[in-house]
Amino acid sequence: MERSCLVFPGLNSFRVCMTSVFSESQQNNPDPWYPTSLDSYDEMLDGDGQIRPQWEYVIRALRTLGIPELERRGAKAAILLRENGVTYNVYGDPAGQSRPWQLDPVPLLVSSEEWGGIEAGLQERAELLNMILADIYGPRELIRKGMLPLELLYNHGGFLRACDQIALRGKHQLVVYAADLARGPDNRMWVLSDRTQAPSGAGYALENRVAMTRVLPSLFRDSHVHRLALFFQSLRAGLNTIAPPGAENPRVVVLTPGPLNETFFEHAYLASYLGYPLVQGDDLTVRDGYLWLKSLNGLERVDVILRRVDDDFCDPLELRDDSRLGVPGLVEVVRRGNVSIANPLGSGVLENPGLLAFLPGIAEHFLGRPLRLPTAATWWCGQPKELDYVLTNLDKLVIKPIYRNPSLRPVFGHLLSQQELADWRDRIRSSPTFYVGQEQEGFSTVPSLVPGGLEPRHAVLRSFLVARADGYVVMPGGLTRSAPHKDEMLVSNQAGSISKDTWVLASEPERPIELVIKPTAEQVAASQSGALPSRAADNLFWVGRYAERAEGTIRLLRSAIKKLHGDPDRSGNEYTESLHSLLRAVTQLTGTRPGFLAEDAETLLSEPEAELLSVALDETRIGSLANTLRCMVQTGYAVRDLWSSDTWRVMDDLEEHLLSAKRLVQPTLWQVQDVMDQLITSLSAFSGLVMESMTRGNGWLFLDTGRRLERSMLLLSLLRTTLVEQRRANVEILLIEALLDTSDNLICYRQHYRNNMELAAFLELLLLDENNPRSLAYQTARLQEHVGKLPREKSAARLSLEQRLALEVASTLRLAVLDELTRVSESRTRENLEQLLARLNFLLVALSDAVTAAYFRHESVPHSLTPLRTT
Amino acid sequence: MHYRVIHKTEYDYCESVGLSYNEARLLPRFTANQSCQAASLTIDPPPTDYSEREDFFGNRVAFFSIREPHQRFIVTATSEVQIASQFGQLDFSQGTDWENVRLSLRQQRDPQTLDALQYVLDSPFVAANAELATYAQPSFPHGRPLLEAVHDLMGRIHGDFTYDPHFTTLATPLAAVLEHRRGVCQDFAHLAIGCLRSQGLAARYVSGYIETLPPPGKEKLVGSDASHAWFSVFIPELGWMDFDPTNNQIPVDQHIIVGWGRDYGDVTPLKGVIFGGGEHELAVSVDVRNLGD
Repeated sequence: MERSCLVFPGLNSFRVCMTSVFSESQQNNPDPWYPTSLDSYDEMLDGDGQIRPQWEYVIRALRTLGIPELERRGAKAAILLRENGVTYNVYGDPAGQSRPWQLDPVPLLVSSEEWGGIEAGLQERAELLNMILADIYGPRELIRKGMLPLELLYNHGGFLRACDQIALRGKHQLVVYAADLARGPDNRMWVLSDRTQAPSGAGYALENRVAMTRVLPSLFRDSHVHRLALFFQSLRAGLNTIAPPGAENPRVVVLTPGPLNETFFEHAYLASYLGYPLVQGDDLTVRDGYLWLKSLNGLERVDVILRRVDDDFCDPLELRDDSRLGVPGLVEVVRRGNVSIANPLGSGVLENPGLLAFLPGIAEHFLGRPLRLPTAATWWCGQPKELDYVLTNLDKLVIKPIYRNPSLRPVFGHLLSQQELADWRDRIRSSPTFYVGQEQEGFSTVPSLVPGGLEPRHAVLRSFLVARADGYVVMPGGLTRSAPHKDEMLVSNQAGSISKDTWVLASEPERPIELVIKPTAEQVAASQSGALPSRAADNLFWVGRYAERAEGTIRLLRSAIKKLHGDPDRSGNEYTESLHSLLRAVTQLTGTRPGFLAEDAETLLSEPEAELLSVALDETRIGSLANTLRCMVQTGYAVRDLWSSDTWRVMDDLEEHLLSAKRLVQPTLWQVQDVMDQLITSLSAFSGLVMESMTRGNGWLFLDTGRRLERSMLLLSLLRTTLVEQRRANVEILLIEALLDTSDNLICYRQHYRNNMELAAFLELLLLDENNPRSLAYQTARLQEHVGKLPREKSAARLSLEQRLALEVASTLRLAVLDELTRVSESRTRENLEQLLARLNFLLVALSDAVTAAYFRHESVPHSLTPLRTT
Repeated sequence: MHYRVIHKTEYDYCESVGLSYNEARLLPRFTANQSCQAASLTIDPPPTDYSEREDFFGNRVAFFSIREPHQRFIVTATSEVQIASQFGQLDFSQGTDWENVRLSLRQQRDPQTLDALQYVLDSPFVAANAELATYAQPSFPHGRPLLEAVHDLMGRIHGDFTYDPHFTTLATPLAAVLEHRRGVCQDFAHLAIGCLRSQGLAARYVSGYIETLPPPGKEKLVGSDASHAWFSVFIPELGWMDFDPTNNQIPVDQHIIVGWGRDYGDVTPLKGVIFGGGEHELAVSVDVRNLGD
């Protein structure tokens, strides 16, 4: 028999050891459909290899479906999740890559009857932890009475002295709580670890559920599964409960560390699902003892924070002074009771494995009875007898630090050499209060879909609780994660575990509850107008600009490639001259100098393929198409909560096309053209969705302002590089044709002017025609409208700087006289045209700067004062 | 003894600071033999928000925020403090030996001992280790009274270490101080605390001032032109007792206490987070006047 082990490092670190013999299991259980070992408890099969009652219906249905079909459903779920942007960011990945979320379509089933016991056990545990938390930052009676050693608490990094004597009103300090559960050898559910800081996973559980109801709709419906929606209603109710007195309609925000955080997807998802603004530390500011959101309409008071930033990072003044994720002065606002945080700052103190050793005594003290849900036996080394026990039995125990620390992972005694054991004994002896020894327990397996069939995998269930005024509400279900392999197995999100939906089976059908909570009218109004953080507006503005820039780049690249490969007559000087002019425009427009504008660009111009490929695909090159798209997707991701799911799906398509282009081995311009065609389709879908389905609030206004500004500037740049200098008539005809094609105006032009390529007509259509949606005049008219609608102080009677600039742009263009623009000077340049274009460009840059200055408050980065040393 | 302390801190910035949040631990606390008759902060530019509270260690803290754009920031703390002389003649050979004190710290559960226990533990600036234990060891032979041992340790630090304001910075680790035998009062206090913690004893960091102009016939003390720091040891029969290793003396009535904590980090006189400012220059002056008895 071989011992195999399950390791859960990172967020929830523990190790499970069990015995399993998969080789023998075939003999034990002849069913090839689920070859399981019967040595450890299996969730589906009982000791006699019989399917447990709660699994019968589901497993029969899955069997009828068959493995190939189940695999297809699994793949469909994967696509759904990916399209919804469900990801998990992996730290330490230089490209900042996010990992698609993996969902096994076979759920973990729990009977209603058993769940009742688990639920009661979790509620009881949450109540107890709540009392401990209240005591730790309050009277510290547990320490005075000797039920909790002072060293265990005071040596823990999560004990924040700045938060001493701060309490939320009401009886609950621990607002949200998560516990990792697994079934032990005694058939009972055990608590493996407690999450009290900023538990993650509830949003993923919800996304899993949404995907499952899509891919296995009838099975889900007929299985009478408890719904999750009520839990999120309770979360909202719970957050309202803790709001400071006087906040009638409390403003709640979700505080995230930002898009690089591993669970950023979930932060954005929850914010959007619950209807709360998603904010980062610098979106908030402390003023006069209150916390404010820097929104487009000015400062708006914040009453409650749903916190996803670790507590010690929340205030650089009173907590970690190296933090850039927090809000200076926040602790003081909390202290004065003017903002409530869930979970409160300092709640990470409960994430201390040493606490487990004292829980039984504390439970007796507070509750008068032992806890229902067992935990692994734990010895805290800060006591002499316990220290002796741990040192003697080190080779059978798991060594854990009392405080989560990336450099201190749990260590498994039985894997250590004699030398390593001796080293560990020294280390523990030198600072015993920092370590615990914990017993290793064996835990159950669940059927999991692997290529070709079902196999047992060890799994952990994370369950979620939230405090309401009347007590803790447990999510009926949760996030199950299973090990990806059957041997030495790492189960953590960082290491790539596979998630499962968790079905708590009701004995009778439940009244269906709308999964999507309808936000109240005020919330919609709030989330769509005033509460838009200026950082979000900034990002939307840039999504608009990047989207337009990407589209413009593609259109020009396509024209250039078409000319290079597709022109029927490729011999003449005129052809060459017009091609070169277009190539130079590529460099100019994308800002990828020197490129075709280099002094000695002759060779490059005659062999342009490599440079064109680079401008299209080289993501490291600023201004390249790939780079622009990457910027667009990243900027879009930072405001993930503001996109509809359809819009996000299009963003995801862009990312996919980008990745497929990246995978091309020795790409050719033909292939690039294919990719660009797909990209144009996605970009058009994006614009379409933005136009058709985005509420015309401030967010849309900024996005479209960005888009119009960029389109105007691209057009100006294109005209200035190609048409200011007069060329031979035939060259100009070729150029005009190419530019019409680039700007998607060729058909329109031909309808008006047939095939008569003439500069005046061209300029009329592209610059001055306010009815042509691709003309400059059209863009500037929209800009003028938009700028007039941007939020500003009501009292302001005069035009704002932005309004004045937009007005000047539009008027300058309207006052232009076509005949003058086409006039050529002695030096064969169209000086009037150049002057106009240059002036317009200057004004548009000034307009962009003015919008940025007025709405996107970029305060300087805060930093700590150097204190003086005491000498 | 009656003192007036004026402690002025001035930051000059290259660029304008639009917003600042500060925390000051400049108001002297009350102790068994020190009463603070008046203490106030003058802040320039004036803050828009100001509040006072007591921190985890019982120190007085002022929180304030300045919204007015400024290039110069001055905080002046003015305090009047009355100090009763501590301790008469001390007999160093008396009292509990240090090993028994170490034991009782872990066994006694009375509030005072329990409170003292937190100062045995490592803190961000001062963690016990083998090097500190080795340095401390000669002062802690078996059975020696704690008072005598600490007095000896203070003397050794004073003798072995050179006062050198140019060698260390706030970021200099204790190990470097120990290795190079140089530092300032803050380093010496940390060093002594580390030595005591490495023996399993409770020691805390005290921040304060000493008299600027000595009485006629007495020498001017080191550290009198700025804020000063020393350490305190928990001795069960005497309570907390202060030692100033920089001046090799047991404070009697020339040391004014502002606050205490596990180390400097707990009692930093002035902390701040600012927006803007660029480079800054910092000047501190302290004036301690003896106003008589």
